[in-house]
Amino acid sequence: MKRITFLLLVFCAPALAVTFTDDEARKIAAHGPWPAPWTPDPSNRVSGNASAIDLGERLFFERRLSVNGEISCSHCHLPERNWSDGLPRAVGLAEVDRNAPSVVNVRYHRWFGWDGAHDSLWAQSINPILDPRELGASAARVAKLMRGDSDLACRYRKTFGPAPGADDEKILVDSAKALAAFQETLVSGRTAFDEFRDALTRGDRAAMTRYPEAAQRGLKIFVGKGACDVCHVGPAFTNGEFHDTGIAFFIRPGEVDSGRYGGIKKLLADRTNLLGPYNDDAKRSTAIGTRHVSLEHRNFGEFKVPSLRNLESSAPYMHNGSLASLRDVIKHYSEISPDRLHSDGEAILKALHLTPEEIEDLTAFLGTLSDRGGTYKRRPFPQDCR
Amino acid sequence: MRALLVALLAAAPAAQGACELPGGEAQKIESPRHVVLYRTRPAPLKVGQHFALEFAVCPAPQSVRVDAWMPEHRHGMNYRPTVTVTGEGSYKAEGLMLHMAGKWELVFEVRAKDSVERVAQVIRLE
Repeated sequence: MKRITFLLLVFCAPALAVTFTDDEARKIAAHGPWPAPWTPDPSNRVSGNASAIDLGERLFFERRLSVNGEISCSHCHLPERNWSDGLPRAVGLAEVDRNAPSVVNVRYHRWFGWDGAHDSLWAQSINPILDPRELGASAARVAKLMRGDSDLACRYRKTFGPAPGADDEKILVDSAKALAAFQETLVSGRTAFDEFRDALTRGDRAAMTRYPEAAQRGLKIFVGKGACDVCHVGPAFTNGEFHDTGIAFFIRPGEVDSGRYGGIKKLLADRTNLLGPYNDDAKRSTAIGTRHVSLEHRNFGEFKVPSLRNLESSAPYMHNGSLASLRDVIKHYSEISPDRLHSDGEAILKALHLTPEEIEDLTAFLGTLSDRGGTYKRRPFPQDCR
Repeated sequence: MRALLVALLAAAPAAQGACELPGGEAQKIESPRHVVLYRTRPAPLKVGQHFALEFAVCPAPQSVRVDAWMPEHRHGMNYRPTVTVTGEGSYKAEGLMLHMAGKWELVFEVRAKDSVERVAQVIRLE
């Protein structure tokens, strides 16, 4: 009887459009589980703190943080646009040189910004507040707001203990730590790919067949012929590091974006880096990357490998937003010329020479990495803080 | 055959004195002049995760440097490890990270009085 049942299961199990080798199955399994486990950031004493998350959410949408009182973080990181803005290059008080990266899943990052100029989410959160082309504010302006607004001052006290004092820089850093605590809560939801990946790891063929055939073929290219997972690795689909992808780094005639090269220099000169006085972790346990990062000539023109989760809703693409659609990105890698890459750089990228059908399949697969709708709902803020 | 292999392995370091790395299992690399024993912390290695190396070099050299690179990709790590001496011929290297899947070469550059030797081992990372 047992044998008959087994045979029935074998013959009734739905056929998959694509077969995956053991090696491919291992690579696919490495892109999960999702959501990935996470622990609070030891460099930020209010990471995971409910009061800090509440204050950070208010500050994220607070226009008075900008010099003209009109721009908040949410000006370029809109919840309805996957926390980006849909523009090639972000526009605050003026246009900046790079695409606004989504802040979804930033809790999993090691480096922040396209050039990795910051080594913590809270240090990164200071950058747009002070950048003259973004919010254009100053530590003094932020401190004045936090001290002068009774509600914000109350929430600061609830979060950090003492009331905002006379040290403007400390208040700026604390405000950024609250902003970071809020952004850490923005995690993308489960996707069709996650369902497939989990079904594959538990051997559930019936569940696996619910994954679109074109996406299955695209996934096989992703972990096979395309070798995309060499850089887009792990549950967040990024190794968190930096590469030259052959995208022009001229900003305007005669001026280039030095990418990671400039990012490392900025990082090491930044007093809010993890080796500096504002790291709340006395052991500096997350500062190992900052302590050991190596500045090399090849870093010139390298940019961070972005996560591919919720990719569909974060167009346009690349560090300068120069590619409008996912198909454009895939075609870029399909036709890439080695002449576009640094002569002293890595020898990783080669033209994939994908067929039009393969480009469609890969596009279909990447589409299944989006959670279709997101999970964020802005909560009604209680009016009084006591 | 197994007994013979053990005997052969034992014979090589014997010429250079017993080579030990206390604290558990270790990988062994042998070169014409040196034996390197090492283990990673944590183990096993993962792509994009910082790790440290505990290692011993026999005979004890004047100095040793540690590096890793991907020969096929023509690049090294994005981080420069530091090596500290923890005893006679034993060391700890910190700040390493293999940031891509594939074939890496872990390299110990061993400086003795009159020579510099490159002792390397291939690591395949998935």
